[in-house]
Amino acid sequence: MATLTPTLTLNSADATSDTVNFSVTDTLNVTGDVVSLSRVALSTSDLTLFASASYSRSYVYLKNTDSSIAMDIDFGTTASFNLAAGEFAFFPWHGSQNILAVADSGTPVLEYALWEA
Amino acid sequence: MATTNASVSISSSDLQPGHNLSINATSTLMKTGLTTGLELMEMGNASVAVGSPTEHALAVALGTTDSANWVYICNTSTDDTYNLEVVISDTVIGYLNAGEWLWMPWNMGDSAAEIEIQAIGGTNTLEYAIFKSAWTLPAAS
Repeated sequence: MATLTPTLTLNSADATSDTVNFSVTDTLNVTGDVVSLSRVALSTSDLTLFASASYSRSYVYLKNTDSSIAMDIDFGTTASFNLAAGEFAFFPWHGSQNILAVADSGTPVLEYALWEA
Repeated sequence: MATTNASVSISSSDLQPGHNLSINATSTLMKTGLTTGLELMEMGNASVAVGSPTEHALAVALGTTDSANWVYICNTSTDDTYNLEVVISDTVIGYLNAGEWLWMPWNMGDSAAEIEIQAIGGTNTLEYAIFKSAWTLPAAS
């Protein structure tokens, strides 16, 4: 069993009068499949990035490496979020819905990795 | 304009033989269009009990489609049998075990896109931060 250590840091000196500066970390156990850090060029057609049939509960890292084009990340057909240029996400994925990725336009490159809990 | 930076690092020394994993990413939280920083922030702590209501609305969605909003949720429970189910648009995104956190954009396109949480195993405690592009206060009752 391997361990994964994710750390999130948020800071801002001017979002409010009180400085925002906090960090959170955790140690996660990885017991299943691993999709190593990879990149894929998206298109304006849906790409099934992670199929629910292939993975159980997992931790997912996504980053839009493009400098201008946004992309949509969909959970099945009902939930979605938009990753603008340079943005990233890290979250536990239940694995009940496919994770799909589609470019708003062009062929932006998505960086991704998955670790099965 | 506010400048709020988010950074994530993901590391592992034992995931792959002979290779230490080290991922680092940083971005500045921007409104849609990538020129103006997000200025609306809501932070807090909460506890969520098992039972009725089963699911609790952490944040209601009043914004516009694909507006830039970000969500941080951390299950601060210490009992590892406690889990926090995170649901958006009636879709289970994932479960946060004790000590786990998530950082992801939130498309608050319509009222169905609210963020819901459900406690499993016992009364979970959590901390959260939500960064929003825009916000409209609900009408007084």
